[in-house]
Amino acid sequence: MSYKIPMGPYHPGLEEPYKLDMICEGETVQDAELNIGFNFRGIEHLAETRNYFQVIALMERVCGICSFIHTLTLCQAMEKLAGLEAPPRAQYIRVVMAELERLHSHVLWAGVAAKLMGFKTMFMTCFALREKVMDVLQAISGNRVNYSMNRVGGVNRDVEDPLALVGMVEDLEREMMRTVIPIFTTSSTARSRCANIGVLTHEKAISCAVVGPTARASGIDQDLRRDAPYAAYAEMKFEVPVEKAGDVRARLFVRALEIMESCRILRQAFTDMPPGEIAVGGDKFAFVTGTATSRVEAPRGEVMYSVSWKEGSRNPARVHVRTPTFANMPAVRWMVRGARLADTPLIQASIDPCYSCTDR
Amino acid sequence: MIALETISEKLAVAAQWNESRGTWWLNPGTIGVRKVATVMNEVHARFITITAYQLPGAEGFRLEYHWDLEGRLLGLPFLIAGNSIESIFDLCEAADWIEREVHEEYSIEFTGREYEPLLLRKGDKTGVNLREDPNAQPKPAAIGPGQKEVAL
Repeated sequence: MSYKIPMGPYHPGLEEPYKLDMICEGETVQDAELNIGFNFRGIEHLAETRNYFQVIALMERVCGICSFIHTLTLCQAMEKLAGLEAPPRAQYIRVVMAELERLHSHVLWAGVAAKLMGFKTMFMTCFALREKVMDVLQAISGNRVNYSMNRVGGVNRDVEDPLALVGMVEDLEREMMRTVIPIFTTSSTARSRCANIGVLTHEKAISCAVVGPTARASGIDQDLRRDAPYAAYAEMKFEVPVEKAGDVRARLFVRALEIMESCRILRQAFTDMPPGEIAVGGDKFAFVTGTATSRVEAPRGEVMYSVSWKEGSRNPARVHVRTPTFANMPAVRWMVRGARLADTPLIQASIDPCYSCTDR
Repeated sequence: MIALETISEKLAVAAQWNESRGTWWLNPGTIGVRKVATVMNEVHARFITITAYQLPGAEGFRLEYHWDLEGRLLGLPFLIAGNSIESIFDLCEAADWIEREVHEEYSIEFTGREYEPLLLRKGDKTGVNLREDPNAQPKPAAIGPGQKEVAL
């Protein structure tokens, strides 16, 4: 006899509002239905009522974790409509902030995943590491969550002494190599809880058009930082980690390796940051009539903004946001099929879902 | 790298690809969206999203379908005079949620598929978020308490 088990909208592990109705036979999940929208704020509609300063502050609140990425994507689209290009130093600062945000997001996720595995010591270790990243974000921007760094034509704040921050990156790298990566890759607890769990096959990953680490853990070699470079990524040397297994362990490996690659990018960005101004265009902008699209590789995958403007207007005519969880979440249905009920919180967490982004 | 002309040849479209602000656009003319989705599958393009725009007055809607082909962002606009367009959900599983969202926000029908349960809202009312009534009176500027008018 099959029965339905509702998980959410108050999720036991992720503390975000969404609901997964699982149809089970005994302890095995046969199918699942996803329900979202509990966090719907109508942000795309609100954006049409905000001027070109206010809309940046608004879109920064789409997501609490990748708030910088959202304003970066928006500002890049608005710069295309205003005919502006951020100066080289601003492009480097954007890379620094984007990679710090990736580090903060991935380390946070590793902590949450460790907690769901029943590995609370690792949760504490990851959150202590995350604090170090947050300290750097605060040192640069003055803020820990919404950084207010991006503006049309560049960034709002400079990195006063980039070389002084290289030490932090090295500390973090050392700690990752010494504790987090060896434990996640070799401990029997992590292996038994993650290997062959929540498999998303390569074919299904392509069919669902998943993005980011979820795609790369299923053997899809895609990363916008390399494939369609923005900001100063064309000048950075880095590898794109790809795993083939498609299980929770592969997603864990991909993120762990991406942390190391982020450290590598940060070292280059801090060392090679060119001198010069951090913004162009002043405080008044003239946007042309039309639509511009921008894409950025967020910690969870591709974010895309389509921004439409009418010349002479100070408000956008339309802002459409496609977030990575919106693309990845439907694939969870396929990941939990055939899984044990007890594994499903970890499987859901393995895509690092963000419902604030998804619902908007 | 796959040439974009391969797609236009497969679609039998005379129009040329046109790059604008980082997006490669192709006007599909009278070609239907299902044919486009089939060709995109053949060239292994990755579906990204659909962006809907309401046109002024009663002109209808413009739906921009976006795919990624080896890092290039492709855009194909479809104008719909009425309220419906064919669904590509059966050809492109990834279009499921965005078709449901556009249906909810603009009340556009994607024919050949079902919508229940709704993705973002409970109930059966659609078109309540982003769709505007063309006969409605213009709204005053939305400046709330504590917000400042920004001089241009």
